[in-house]
Amino acid sequence: MTTSRRNFLKGAAAAGGLTAFGFGYSHTAEQLLRGAWAGDQPDHPISGKAPSPEFTVDPETGVLTPNPNQAMAYTMCMGCTTICGVRVRIDKVRNKILRVTGNPYHLLSTDQHIPYATPVKQSFVSLSRFQEQGLAGRSTACARGNAVLSKLTDPNRVTVPLKRIGARGEGKWAPISPEQLLREVVEGGDLFGEGHVDGLRAIRDLKTPIDPANPEFGPRANQLAVIPPFKDGRLVFAARFAKQSFGTVNFTGHRSYCGLSMRSGYAALLGDWKKQPHLKPDFINSEFLLFIGTAPGNAGNPFKRQGQQIAKARSTGKLKYVVVDPVLTNSDSMAADERSRWLPIKPNTDGALVMGMMRWILENRRYDEQFLRQPNAAAAAAAGEVSWSNASHLVVTQEGHPKNGRFLRASDLQLFDGDPKESPLVVIDQASGEVVSQAAVGPAELFYQGEVVLPDGEKLQVKSSLSLLQAEAEKHSLEEYSAACGIPVSTIVELAREFTAHGKKAAADCHGGTMGSNGFYTAYAIVMLNALVGNLNAKGGTSAGGGRFKEIAPGPRYNLKKFPGMVKAKGVGLGRQGFPYEKSSEYQRKVAAGKNPYPSKAPWYPLSPAMSSEFLTAAINGYPYSLKALILWSSNPLYGVAGLQQQVKVKMADPKSLPLIVSVDPFINESNTYADYIVPDSVLYESWGWASAWGGNLTKVSTARWPVIEPAQVKDNQGIPVGMEWFFIEVAKRMGLPGFGENAIADQEGNLHPLNRPEEFYLRAAANVAFDGGAVADADDEELQLTGVDRLANDLQSILKPDEWRKAAYVYARGGRFEDAEMGYKGNALARQYKSPLQIYDEKLGTTRNTLSGARYHGTPTWIRPSLADGSLLESSFPAADWPYKVVSTKSPYVSSHTTGIQKLQQFHPSNAIAMHYSDAEKLGVRSGDSIRITTPGGIVKGQALVRNGIQPGVLGIEHGFGHRELGARQHQIGDRFTTPSRLAGLGVNINDLGFADPQREGASVLADWVVGSVARQGLPARVEKA
Amino acid sequence: MDSTRRKFLATVATTIAAPVLGEASAAEGTADTQDTPRWVMVIDLRKCIGCQACTVACSTENRVPAGQFRTLVSHYEVEKDHQPRSAMLPRLCNHCENPPCIPVCPVQATYQRPDGIVVVDNTRCVGCAYCVQACPYDARFINHETKTADKCTFCVHRVQAGLLPACVETCVGGARIFGNIKDPRSEVSRLINSVHTDGLQPGLKTRPQVYYIGLDNRLQNKIEGVPSPWKRSETLVQESMS
Repeated sequence: MTTSRRNFLKGAAAAGGLTAFGFGYSHTAEQLLRGAWAGDQPDHPISGKAPSPEFTVDPETGVLTPNPNQAMAYTMCMGCTTICGVRVRIDKVRNKILRVTGNPYHLLSTDQHIPYATPVKQSFVSLSRFQEQGLAGRSTACARGNAVLSKLTDPNRVTVPLKRIGARGEGKWAPISPEQLLREVVEGGDLFGEGHVDGLRAIRDLKTPIDPANPEFGPRANQLAVIPPFKDGRLVFAARFAKQSFGTVNFTGHRSYCGLSMRSGYAALLGDWKKQPHLKPDFINSEFLLFIGTAPGNAGNPFKRQGQQIAKARSTGKLKYVVVDPVLTNSDSMAADERSRWLPIKPNTDGALVMGMMRWILENRRYDEQFLRQPNAAAAAAAGEVSWSNASHLVVTQEGHPKNGRFLRASDLQLFDGDPKESPLVVIDQASGEVVSQAAVGPAELFYQGEVVLPDGEKLQVKSSLSLLQAEAEKHSLEEYSAACGIPVSTIVELAREFTAHGKKAAADCHGGTMGSNGFYTAYAIVMLNALVGNLNAKGGTSAGGGRFKEIAPGPRYNLKKFPGMVKAKGVGLGRQGFPYEKSSEYQRKVAAGKNPYPSKAPWYPLSPAMSSEFLTAAINGYPYSLKALILWSSNPLYGVAGLQQQVKVKMADPKSLPLIVSVDPFINESNTYADYIVPDSVLYESWGWASAWGGNLTKVSTARWPVIEPAQVKDNQGIPVGMEWFFIEVAKRMGLPGFGENAIADQEGNLHPLNRPEEFYLRAAANVAFDGGAVADADDEELQLTGVDRLANDLQSILKPDEWRKAAYVYARGGRFEDAEMGYKGNALARQYKSPLQIYDEKLGTTRNTLSGARYHGTPTWIRPSLADGSLLESSFPAADWPYKVVSTKSPYVSSHTTGIQKLQQFHPSNAIAMHYSDAEKLGVRSGDSIRITTPGGIVKGQALVRNGIQPGVLGIEHGFGHRELGARQHQIGDRFTTPSRLAGLGVNINDLGFADPQREGASVLADWVVGSVARQGLPARVEKA
Repeated sequence: MDSTRRKFLATVATTIAAPVLGEASAAEGTADTQDTPRWVMVIDLRKCIGCQACTVACSTENRVPAGQFRTLVSHYEVEKDHQPRSAMLPRLCNHCENPPCIPVCPVQATYQRPDGIVVVDNTRCVGCAYCVQACPYDARFINHETKTADKCTFCVHRVQAGLLPACVETCVGGARIFGNIKDPRSEVSRLINSVHTDGLQPGLKTRPQVYYIGLDNRLQNKIEGVPSPWKRSETLVQESMS
């Protein structure tokens, strides 16, 4: 038998067929002699147990005949954070979901999504064999999307409210009524026989400061933190409660332990640190793509769309691409031959590779000079450019001067007499060589370095942004960059030449592979490559996304963002994010006492908008302040943040440290296992929501999520299913908080409507969508029946206005609202354009200081080695002599935090292994399958070795998503019932068990990027041995 | 016990040494006219991203027991030009023109339909697994639940309803293309006539009707690659069987 056969058969045919055959013919005869059908008897002699098709399409005429027992609902997937539009095939008789595939109206699931006006019936025909429409028009779900429906019926799902009856984390729970849950969480009391616990009512104090000595920390209401999952379509509802109604600043998603380094790199490039927009290549029209720390089709977002686009572009398109990654993944394709290339690299050294490329590009003048020379939007437009940059803008570089690091303003030179805050910047005019206002001229000098004389005669050293970038690139030779990253000089040059050989039809992208302790500068450098070829908004270049319709917004029908009595949360967040340390009381006190204000007690992250990875360590350290209550909603930081579990598990289990922990979650995970209460929640296709594409869309996308089947959770005494929305509505109503209950939602005429159940929120969002930028058509009854939207008909009619409900139904029948594909382009440019200039030098970055060392950050990309929080070298604390290996976190296209323990995925990928290179394995005497032990400064894991060539020597690759201790892996007692632990759920190792505290920080901490605080999961120093 | 099985019993005693070389079943209409389609699949390996969406969709659609597969994407690390490369190979029944699984069936439970789809009649199958042995592509198995031979049917129940096989519907890269090779305007005909395609193990003369684009000879016969990066554990299958 060949290897291939063995592989294909492994455990599949082998376990059945060949084992049976092993008994020889006598076994067969014996079975026959027993007389009965040996196994289950399926319904159909040929098709076995397959259910009858959802509908029939006549292949000759295209006439569709529905199956009356099934519906095909268009809604949203939750198998990963891409949240694609899907079609869910429902057995209406059994309230069961049969199978899930893609929604052909939705661009995240379809190559060319069908026009929005297509009748629903026609959308079904577009998936069929009729005229082979279903081939080019196929709309897909990935393996996760196909498999995740089993979460609905997961035997470990929580469906009733639980209260702990043992110690925190002991796994003993009592089922309680929804009413008891609300009373105890709101009113507090001696809830566990351990003494008094403050309820949410007592914690919500919007007047008394947490700490009078540090008034900037804000009121005591900030001592409630709410950690939600991600922008899953319901986040805005939870934010309405936490920030706008309860009034805490401590509400933030998972970005700091997901892809904050990438988001920050783009934020610097795009000049928006608050919203952190980001770019995605226009795959299909691109000729050369460079993926560094991201691998299309393997991971990243949108996962499926990128996989589909790369497959098309590398086969029938014009694309060549290179994936730079320590580990070879399924992003590469041997069948695509030289169109696809894997370039291995040492972990955390992508910055060296890219700075080397930039040095060569700048020295050889391979950049897009015409693009870079345009100092303003009008000049760019006149030159035929579709975006512009600050490459020519002058930066003050006078050491010791108060303006050092700032752009020179036209007002500084009396070239502008308006408000200096509004002043344009300054460039050297290319034609005249004069110092002029950036707003007033055409092409400008790119590499100016020299003196500018101010009106009072003072001379200031200045340099253009591009000169500053060049200076950083020239800090090291190509040979030095090469030595750092392990990629030969010739390859660096080859990449730089290729990248600059396609005009604007080349792009570079990055993502989670940059999540090292030098992640920010790595990402800023990678994305800067796009500026050097001027590809923003260009066909075949990069896009900041196509946007969405106004759903949960101040929309055309209802204002779902603002409401009467809305609170504005105030104060410094637990993660010390988005607030300059220099404005803190701590800083002022130190300065007043004549002390060096640096270091701060823990790093502050003024550039970062969201730092939930710091919440728990901050609360435990009591800096800036402690927490009184924590609400975890479908989030699991103790599993997902490298090193966090070790740092906080003792304190999480101690009610004195964190008095009240409530979790809203359908499952018990590594974080909410420490909860005092668990509120069950809806799962997947049972829930409401409004989401969009996170990126990779050139046109507007608003995805609708709605309960296509009846939710499984218990209902309250009003008949409303318990869940996230229910919990926040009821808590708010009990406490008399604004924004919920009667008179909570204003329509466009100012009339107020109630918010007593989730339908009253999400259906009004649908009305907004339906009327935004021109109203959609009305859905007829047949469309409602075909798509199962008839389930919503009563609510649509009773909640919405007569002119709204059939339009909202039209939107739900299509799974949302989507702009047609042809709206994506305008000639050689993208139709939806990002308007602000690209930041070759980022002033905010260049004038911000590290709060431990006090040193100012570089305002352009530069090569930074892995660092500790104060900017000192990671290597200095953990030298390679002691820690010769580097651990990296890799991704699987099958596993996400939403798909743990799913048998349909684990049947072909049950566990993870620790990948290592042949040369390392040989040194250690390790073979594939051997047990090996990895030790880092923070932890030890033991797993199976997988010996490969497709990994950089010296690197240990661990796929994220395994090694769970909860989510079904552990037994819990609920009332007098014991859950049945699943061995599948606990298989493999969790790379985040290897994370560790930063030795430069006091108290509990995790290693993070020294600029923006993104958690370091890449390049962890390690030792490895045979176990 | 149904009558087919009872009849088969009579032959058991006399055929222990050698399997019966039965004839292809004529259980369903044999009329092969000009209008009868010949269903085939083209798999463009350049478009396969190894995401296993097909695997799960098939498993869900056809209610295949856990750990058993009518289709699966094998993922290998292959050395090419001294570089490790990632190679995907989606596998399924080849619905051969010359199917070696059919003649070995002692009860004529497996047969080829006029449209080329090789099927198993589970009411006739006795689970002897001869066909499982005979298939050089390991595309067959004994279903743990029904105890009968099981394999890809090209989702014949969907195809007859004017729909596409589940794996084709959900193929993220658009690698799987299904159609009628007898129709010159079909996408499969267009591809087979314009792009070089290969079948697996051509030396066996089975005339497989799954046509691969971009099939490297390292994958065509004996696999010259490491069946990683993702290793399947046998323990799971044992667990699901118990």
